[in-house]
Amino acid sequence: MASLNNGSVAQTGNSTFLRIVAALSNVSGWIAAGFILLAVGITCQMIFVRFVLNQSTIWQTEMVVYLMIAATLMGLPYVQRLRGHVNVDLLPIMLPPPARKTLAIITLLVGISIIGLIVFYGFEFWYEAWSRNWRSDTVWGVRLWIPYLAVPVGFSLYLLQLIADLVALLRGYEKPFGIGGDQ
Amino acid sequence: MDPITLGGLVAIATILVLFSGISVATGLLIVSAGFLLVFDGLRSLELIPEILFGKLDNFALLSIPMFIIMGASIASTRAGADLYEALERWLTRVPGGLVVSNLGACALFAAMSGSSPATCAAIGKMGIPEMRKRGYPDGVAAGSIAAGGTLGILIPPSVTMIVYGIATETSIGRLFLAGVFPGLLLVALFMAWSLYSTWRHGSAEVLASRSYTWRQRFEIMPRVLPFLLIILGVLYAMYGGIATPSETAAVGALLCLMIAMIIYKLWSPAALWSVLRDSTRESVMILFIIAAAGVFSYMLSSLFITQAIAEWIGTLDVNRWVLMGVINIFLLVAGFFLPPVAVILMAAPILLPIILAAGFDPYWFAVVLTINMEIGLISPPVGLNLYVINGIAPDISLKTILSGSIPYVICMIVAILLLCLFPEIAIWLPNAVMGTAV
Repeated sequence: MASLNNGSVAQTGNSTFLRIVAALSNVSGWIAAGFILLAVGITCQMIFVRFVLNQSTIWQTEMVVYLMIAATLMGLPYVQRLRGHVNVDLLPIMLPPPARKTLAIITLLVGISIIGLIVFYGFEFWYEAWSRNWRSDTVWGVRLWIPYLAVPVGFSLYLLQLIADLVALLRGYEKPFGIGGDQ
Repeated sequence: MDPITLGGLVAIATILVLFSGISVATGLLIVSAGFLLVFDGLRSLELIPEILFGKLDNFALLSIPMFIIMGASIASTRAGADLYEALERWLTRVPGGLVVSNLGACALFAAMSGSSPATCAAIGKMGIPEMRKRGYPDGVAAGSIAAGGTLGILIPPSVTMIVYGIATETSIGRLFLAGVFPGLLLVALFMAWSLYSTWRHGSAEVLASRSYTWRQRFEIMPRVLPFLLIILGVLYAMYGGIATPSETAAVGALLCLMIAMIIYKLWSPAALWSVLRDSTRESVMILFIIAAAGVFSYMLSSLFITQAIAEWIGTLDVNRWVLMGVINIFLLVAGFFLPPVAVILMAAPILLPIILAAGFDPYWFAVVLTINMEIGLISPPVGLNLYVINGIAPDISLKTILSGSIPYVICMIVAILLLCLFPEIAIWLPNAVMGTAV
C-alpha cells in the first residue's frame, strides 16, 4: 500500500556518522522550509507591487520558481529522513522478516546507485553552467549556476542520507522499510 | 524491438520496481534510467539532471506547496470542528443534521485544502467521536468521513487537478471549475446514503436534530467566517481574472497562516514549525514525484512508446465507451496501489491523446479520473484515508471502517456513471464561466 509513515524518523543509534548525516539532513530540511516560506512572501510582494502599486515586476516570478526547485531538491534528504517519500509497501509487509531485510538492502543499493548517478551528472550540469557563465534569457538574466547548484547539493545530501539508512539497517538500528513497530 | 513490446516491458518493469517497496519517485527514475541506458545509450543519462530541473521550472507548480500550506495551517487548528458545529447549528431542521454537517464540513474544508488525508483528519478528529457519542453506527461515522475526506482532491483547489493540468497542459482554472458540481453531486449522494443507512440501523432517533438558539448560531460565526471569506476571495481572484492559481494560492497560504495565528492563537514556534514541516514534507514528496515522472515520460516518448500506444489504440476501432470502461478499470486498479499524483503523472501523457482521439472532453476526463483516484483512497489495499481514520479512531476496527466505506465507493461509481450519461455536470460550469474551450 502507499503509505506515509507519519511520525517516524530514521534512528541514529550511537554512530557518529549517522548523527552527522542526520544533522545535515535536518539543516537541509530547514533551508527547504525557509525557501518555501520565502517563496510565499515574495509571491505576495509581487502581487502587491503589480496590483496595488501598479508597477511591473522583474525578478519575482523567476526567483520564486528557483526557490521552489531549491526547496524540493534540498528537501529530499530531510524527507527521506522523515520517511516521507511514498512507497508501495504491500510486498515488504507480506514477506517474512529475513526476506524483507534482503529486499530493503537491495532497494537501498539500487536507490544509492541511481541517486549517485544523478549526483555525478548533476555536478556536470552545474559545472557547465558555471564554467560557461550561462545566464537565463529573461530580463533579470540570473547566472544559472546559482539555481543549478541545488541539483548537485540536494542530491549529494540525499545520497548521504540513503547511505546512512543502509548503514543503520545493516547495524540493526532500523527495521527494514520501517516495518515492525516503532520505538 | 517495436515500441509496443517495449511499452509492455516498461509496464512490467515499473510494476516490479514499484512493488519492491522503493519510493515511487526513485522507482520511476530507476525504470527510466534503465531503459534509457539499454535502448538509448549512456549519453542519454546525462540529460536526467536537466530534465529534473526543467520539469520543476514551472510557475504553475508553485501552487502545490502554496495550497498545501493553506490546508496544513487550517488543519493544525480546530477549524474543522468549528465548521461542522456551525453547520449543525444552522441546519437544525435537516434530519440527521450531524452527519449532514460533517459531510458539508468536509466539502467546505476541501475547498480550502487540496489534500484528501488532510480533509479527512481535520473533520474526523472531532466529527467521528461526536457522531458515535450521539448514536450513529460506527460504520457510518467512519465511512462518511473517509469518503467525505476524498472530496479534498475533487473540490477546488485540488492538488491532483493542478498536477493533471500540468501533465496535460490544460487550464488549471477550468479544471477547478469542472470539479465543483461533481463534488456537490458526491456530497449529495454521500448524505443520502448516510441518512438511509442510519435510519435502516434503527437509529432513527439520532436523526432528530437538536435545536439551537439564534445566539448559539451567531456566536460561532466569527470563527468560521474568515475561512469562508478566504474561499470566496480565492475564487474571486482566480476567476475575476486577477491572478493565476499560483499567485492566488500564495495569498491564500499567507492569509490562512495569519488566521491560524490570530484566531486560533497558533503562536508557539513549535506549532508553526510543525505546520511548516508537514507542508515541506508533503510538497517535496509530490514535487519530487513530478520531477521523476518527467524523466519517465521523457523516456517513454524518446523510445516512441507514447506515440505508438496512442496509434495502436487508434487502429483498434473499439467503441469509445468500451475504451472508457477499460481506462476506468485501469485507473481504478492503479489507484488501489499508487498515490493519485503518481497515477496521474504516469497515465496522463499516455491516456490524453487516446481520450482526445476518442472525442472525450479532457476536463470531463479529469473529473472521472479524480473520482477513480478517490475510490482508491478508501479501498484496500492502499486506502490512505482508511488509515487516517484508523489513526483518529483506533477503537473502530479497520474491518468496520472498510465495510462502512464500501457503500460510499458505490456512490462514487454511481457518480461516474452519471457523469458518463450527463457530461454537462462537469463541463457546464467551466464553459459558463470561462467560455467554451477551444
